Amino acid sequence: MLLQQLLNGLVVGGVYALFAVGFNLIFGIQRFLNLAHGAVFMTGAFVAYYTVEAGGPLILGFLAAIIISGLLSVLIEIVCFRRLRKSGDAEFGAILSSMGASLVIMTVWQWISKTQVVRFPFDTVPVVIFRFWGLRVSLLQVIMMVAAVVIVMIMAWFLYRTSFGRQVRAVTDNEKAATLVGVNPNRTYSLTYFISGALAGAAGVLVGLAFNNINYMMGEPYLLFGFAIIILGGLGSIPGALLASLIFGMGQTLAIAYLPSGLTTAFIFSAMFLILLVKPTGLMGREEAGILRGRR
Amino acid sequence: MTNILLGYQPLFDLFLLHLGMAYSQWLVLRAGVFSLATAGLAAVGAYTGGILVVSLGFPAPVALLLAGLAGGIVALGLSIPLARLRGVYQAIATVAFIQIVLSLNIYASGLTGGPQGLNGIPKTVGTVTLLIAGILTVYLMYTITNSRLGRAFDAIRQNEAVAASLGVSIVRHQTLAFIISGALAGVYGALEAFHSYALAPSQFGFTFLISILAYVVLGGRNTIIGPIVGTAILLLLPEIARPLAEARMLVYGLLLILVINYLPHGIADTLIERARARRLSARLAKSDSVATTATRN
Repeated sequence: MLLQQLLNGLVVGGVYALFAVGFNLIFGIQRFLNLAHGAVFMTGAFVAYYTVEAGGPLILGFLAAIIISGLLSVLIEIVCFRRLRKSGDAEFGAILSSMGASLVIMTVWQWISKTQVVRFPFDTVPVVIFRFWGLRVSLLQVIMMVAAVVIVMIMAWFLYRTSFGRQVRAVTDNEKAATLVGVNPNRTYSLTYFISGALAGAAGVLVGLAFNNINYMMGEPYLLFGFAIIILGGLGSIPGALLASLIFGMGQTLAIAYLPSGLTTAFIFSAMFLILLVKPTGLMGREEAGILRGRR
Repeated sequence: MTNILLGYQPLFDLFLLHLGMAYSQWLVLRAGVFSLATAGLAAVGAYTGGILVVSLGFPAPVALLLAGLAGGIVALGLSIPLARLRGVYQAIATVAFIQIVLSLNIYASGLTGGPQGLNGIPKTVGTVTLLIAGILTVYLMYTITNSRLGRAFDAIRQNEAVAASLGVSIVRHQTLAFIISGALAGVYGALEAFHSYALAPSQFGFTFLISILAYVVLGGRNTIIGPIVGTAILLLLPEIARPLAEARMLVYGLLLILVINYLPHGIADTLIERARARRLSARLAKSDSVATTATRN
């Protein structure tokens, strides 16, 4: 029973990783908290649903979701953050600006879906259950796990093994120095936002398939979980976000299974508060949580 | 004439209630604390007031004071971890606080009514009470702004290192700002409870948080008039243009993006700054022409 719960948690954690890595990628590169990330995630789920509903195969829906979510994320960067980055007081502004973007995207999907909950047709993913060592794994869970691992690996290869990835890490380290050696920061930012959005979109499709409950509010709880995960992993750290997602997924599943229902959320956020209090840099973050600010 | 005014009375009540919350948010931002906890503290105050009156039979004025006290005490407790954090970390921690309040609220259904909310609160607060509360709040904020305390807040907000080197204790002042803000949120939460018969947990969630922030940001974060302007504009906008009422959240979202990008100090603050700059340049031009005539002679 415990092993089964841990396995379920691992699968959920994989999907959280897709969401949280993109979230943390943006924080790492720009020090911005992109509150529209939940809305991008939801967009992925809706795009996949409408593609499948229009008669397209699921794989097409998945690709469409990834591309459209990525482009939406780039648009958010251009509209909400590009001007802000040049002004001094961007930390506060970015939160409000992306909050605004989130509201706009949510309202648009509310109109398109007419405030209804939409569901994938019953047989989008055939219900097949594998059993081994007394554990039950559904085909859907296998797809989720494989998709999460493959996408994260592609992203890691991109960031750590290509010239573009070096540019991203250079800009993260020091934007001025990177510009001096010929890196175009705006293009780097756009690509980073595309990756971040694409990851969120993929997570949206997988969550949409797993819980089959797609509505315009679905991004909000994941955004809050995303907060908890990146605090646990350390703000700005990609490996930290990956590790924290898996821990978080398993912890959440165990909390749902063994704690009184209704207390799970309170438990998660109290734990997060405790981490902020004891070790604000999380598992792999950098020392900066308590630095004095001297803006303007 | 009176009929038209009476029709707008609920809107005016709403304006006064939200104005108080906006000031609670405004005060912490002014002191350089990046807290979004007002929504959670208002929920604490509202439920304290509501439960005291409904379940324990307290008279409303006593419950109101106790609600303010509860808001202040919770804020004091919250300020201890917040003092160790900065910027984005404070924002995230306070969002976590709101979630904890929200889920405990739903969990403790025996006390708070859970998801169904707290019903049957006697309505004891009308427009007159709210108006008195509003005037007192503005007066309190005005006094704080023009005292040593307000100047300390400004110094901390602009540069913590400089403030500390001038002998302004950052932790003490931010804690104080946070307690006042919490007490204010608690009182206004209770006022809302006594004004509207019923409370629901979702009332103090994300939408509420965004609305309050939007008031302060649109109006202006550094002058006393900012929250008044912001709250008035955002509440009146859907009334003036009826079709907008459908898309209230869309309008709030677009306004947030536009204001933050193109008018980062908010409407009232920008106007005041412009007026000041014009007066200053006029005075400079005058002294300049005096100076040139002086050299010519």
